[in-house]
Amino acid sequence: MAAAQNGDQVAYAALLRDLLPYLRAMARRRFRQAEEAEDAVQDILLTLHTVRHSYDPARPFRPWIVTIARRRIADRMVRLGRRAANEMLSALDDDETFSVPVTNSDMETAVQAREAVAAVADLPPGQRQAFELLKVQGLSLNEASAATGLSVTALKVATHRAVLALRRRLGN
Amino acid sequence: MRTEDLIEQMAATAEPVRRLPAPSVLALAWLVLAVALVSLVVLWQGWRPNLAGQLAEVEVLVPWLASILTGVLAVLAATHLAAPDRSARWRWVPLPAFALWVATLGGGCFAEWRESGDLTMAPGMDCLPEIAIISLPLSLLLFGLLRHAAAIRPVSTAVTGALAVAALASAGMELFHHADGALSVLVWHAGAVTLLVTGFALVGRPLFRLIAIRKPRFAR
Repeated sequence: MAAAQNGDQVAYAALLRDLLPYLRAMARRRFRQAEEAEDAVQDILLTLHTVRHSYDPARPFRPWIVTIARRRIADRMVRLGRRAANEMLSALDDDETFSVPVTNSDMETAVQAREAVAAVADLPPGQRQAFELLKVQGLSLNEASAATGLSVTALKVATHRAVLALRRRLGN
Repeated sequence: MRTEDLIEQMAATAEPVRRLPAPSVLALAWLVLAVALVSLVVLWQGWRPNLAGQLAEVEVLVPWLASILTGVLAVLAATHLAAPDRSARWRWVPLPAFALWVATLGGGCFAEWRESGDLTMAPGMDCLPEIAIISLPLSLLLFGLLRHAAAIRPVSTAVTGALAVAALASAGMELFHHADGALSVLVWHAGAVTLLVTGFALVGRPLFRLIAIRKPRFAR
């Protein structure tokens, strides 16, 4: 890495190639879908590239890259969790059941998001309500404020806490 | 894009980079500039009347020292939190000093109330220009130094950074601004600090996203 910081492109490429299986293993422990894991690996690599000047060659490389990797994986899981929770809840709203294979396979993707849905369900009631109104149903702050009687600030705070809680839970 | 291709492109465009100084060096550099800036404002405003007499009182001296300690520990925490390979536990480091600062200010209020039976509070907004002149450049500088935190721990870095700026601005104010009574200091200084820190906890992530070093774009 120290050589890469000095502009040694061959050493940099070799380091990244060596790192790849390790990052892939880390990402695949978290994501069931291979594409998601691979996107996470690319996120990690891009972040490494962007902040490569922050590595101190006098210190071990591993903690540096592990923190970056965990961070990017956690961020992606929260994003994924939001999207998946959205899909799952709208699927639950439908009264019909489908037997067409295509819809079933869609449902299976949604079932993979069970973890995220459970995490949302376990939030304290105030946070869950704010999160569902704003992030899942997509209401504006003013609409959500009118619907609940809570102030815009209170809703913002509750949503923020909910996102933090989800990030913590899904990030570990 | 295949990850292997991304790696080749990243390596092919990798220019030499200037390494960041160690977190404690960054913190020290920022502290030196903070002291210089506060000195300039003191030169401009003049020392507060009877400064030596004020600082000889324990009720004034201890919270003042605690605010300096809070600022120093908070900027150390911020620069360490911004570095990926340093422990996230740095975020707790300024807390004891901050608690001591608020507690000693509160204790001062209590003592004043017991002595005189009433607490007066000065309207505090007249010092706003001085606060702005100290804290704006310090914040800009600190967040500029810590741009690389965007990718790692934006919220805790923003919060500890804001605490550092606010605590040192408050300590600087004590040198030239005549604040009446412990309650004013508690409300205006500690209140402003709490407000700032809470604010930065909420905007830390978007703020750092805004000033983040841009990721390179590679052809898909």
